[in-house]
Amino acid sequence: MGNKGKRRAVAALRVIILAFFLLFVILPIYWMAITSFKPHAEIINTQQVTYFPKTFTLENYKELFEIFNYGDFLKNSIILSVLTAVAVTILSVFGGYALARYRFRGKTAMLLFFLVTQMVPGILVIIPLYTAYAKMGLIADAPHLGLWIFYVITNLPFCVITMRSFFERIPYSLEEAAMVDGCSRMKSLRKIVLPVMFPGIVAVFVFAFIGAWNELIAGIIFTSEPSAWTIPVGLKSLIGKNNVKWGAMMAGGMLALLPTAIMFMVVQKYVVEGLTAGSVKE
Amino acid sequence: MVQNRKKEPIIVKRNQNYRKRMMEPYALLMPVLVLLLVVFAVPLINSFIMAFQKYRLGSPDIGFNGLDNFRKLFADDDLGLILKNTVIYVICSVAGQFVLGLTLALALWKKFKGRGIYQSVVFLPWAFSAFVVGLMFRWSFNGEYGVVNDLLMKLGVIKENIAWLGTPGYSLFVIILAMIWIGVPFFAIMILAALQSIPEDIYEAASIDGAGAVKKFFRITVPYIKPTIIMTLLLRTIWILNSFDLIVVITNGGPANYSMTLPAYMYTRAFSGYDFGFASAIGVILMTALMVYTLIFLKVTNYEEGM
Repeated sequence: MGNKGKRRAVAALRVIILAFFLLFVILPIYWMAITSFKPHAEIINTQQVTYFPKTFTLENYKELFEIFNYGDFLKNSIILSVLTAVAVTILSVFGGYALARYRFRGKTAMLLFFLVTQMVPGILVIIPLYTAYAKMGLIADAPHLGLWIFYVITNLPFCVITMRSFFERIPYSLEEAAMVDGCSRMKSLRKIVLPVMFPGIVAVFVFAFIGAWNELIAGIIFTSEPSAWTIPVGLKSLIGKNNVKWGAMMAGGMLALLPTAIMFMVVQKYVVEGLTAGSVKE
Repeated sequence: MVQNRKKEPIIVKRNQNYRKRMMEPYALLMPVLVLLLVVFAVPLINSFIMAFQKYRLGSPDIGFNGLDNFRKLFADDDLGLILKNTVIYVICSVAGQFVLGLTLALALWKKFKGRGIYQSVVFLPWAFSAFVVGLMFRWSFNGEYGVVNDLLMKLGVIKENIAWLGTPGYSLFVIILAMIWIGVPFFAIMILAALQSIPEDIYEAASIDGAGAVKKFFRITVPYIKPTIIMTLLLRTIWILNSFDLIVVITNGGPANYSMTLPAYMYTRAFSGYDFGFASAIGVILMTALMVYTLIFLKVTNYEEGM
């Protein structure tokens, strides 16, 4: 095989690989999507599995909201995820700035501590937290407060580290120049640094939002009343029943994926940048 | 201590300013540290104490019982099976994610038209919740109405429906497959970023020296992305081991613990029997194993030299 032939073979292989991954990702999602639009009878027809809905229906989505209170779950998930993302982003800006711009005693120990938090099995923290929350009455009276605190701390270490790497990419001279020109430190931070930091802030916001949005286990444990359930907890409660409503379940799954999928596609560039900035360092 | 380096040309003139500046990083980090100490470190320490206690939620009879919890764990008939599942689950998931992630990253390396759009689709599973992915796979592998059985039947691979989730071996396989599906993007993203940071001219120089593609791959590409691969493998192994949403959703450990892993078992024991002492003992063993694993892994891979 000549050089040209070789190159052509590599190109062909590449197309095959790319096509494979596209199918690999899309097929399960496709299957979930079309199931959510099928009527119940078609879903549980053992004689014939249909690869496109014979009858297209929205009854599963209707059932989700009318019978299973999906609206409540949706509301709880949105509130918790937004509040988590806001808190994590603000704390990460301060923490990340400190870690990027100062040298101080205990910095290495701090970074090591952040790394260790990533290694601890979550359930090991959830168990004692549960007893503490129960004693304080948080489980019964303010389940979202307890859950919110938990989501903030579980997402913080990674987000602080990510934010730090974004700050480190901005030359200090930029800030300094602004200060020489008469800006105060806070003003230079606001006017000069934060606009340049926009990608980092978006990335961290998305990480924290998705982290809270997708979480299941703590949600199950820290909430007792259905009115406090988030989407994963609410849907999980449907599985236990004998007659699993697959249509409603898939519809619920679709609605759960939609916000994070859109968010990811819109800011994919920043998120990928943030991921690679955050995890390799330290 | 404030020191000057290239990036931080901070000239401290007055003593008062100096002291104020010295406190600044602590003040900025204070909220993060306080939160992590109170809501993370303290509970973690409590867990370690609980592991040596008779601690059943709601029972008034709480007190130290030495190593009883650990004895109970090692006397557990299912422990061997669970450990075996855990090892298989972690190794297969990590290996699958790594091989596929590396392949995808290499395929994405050179620019092509529409790469941005392609990436935002193929990387999507990263943003998905393990919970929904679990539902997706549970439904696809359903024994009666599942699409996988139907496809395999049409292809003539199988003659009758397989009860994937009710058969020992198969149920764990479905979980591993779902775990691989959700984790490929992360590996691909990390490795792709490392690949793109390799300076072009190195390859040009190697070509001039007459190096072939294979040689270039092993002599240039691999050494360059090695630190990324090591760190990603390390973090992912731990993350995969610790995460059990997929197991809870797809099989709940069944049939009869044949797809149960140690962290999932810990969760089950903690919140179905409320035996917190016993569950914490499992957690302590898990933590210790993770620490030992990390040290050995970094040692074996010569991580520091790799940098």
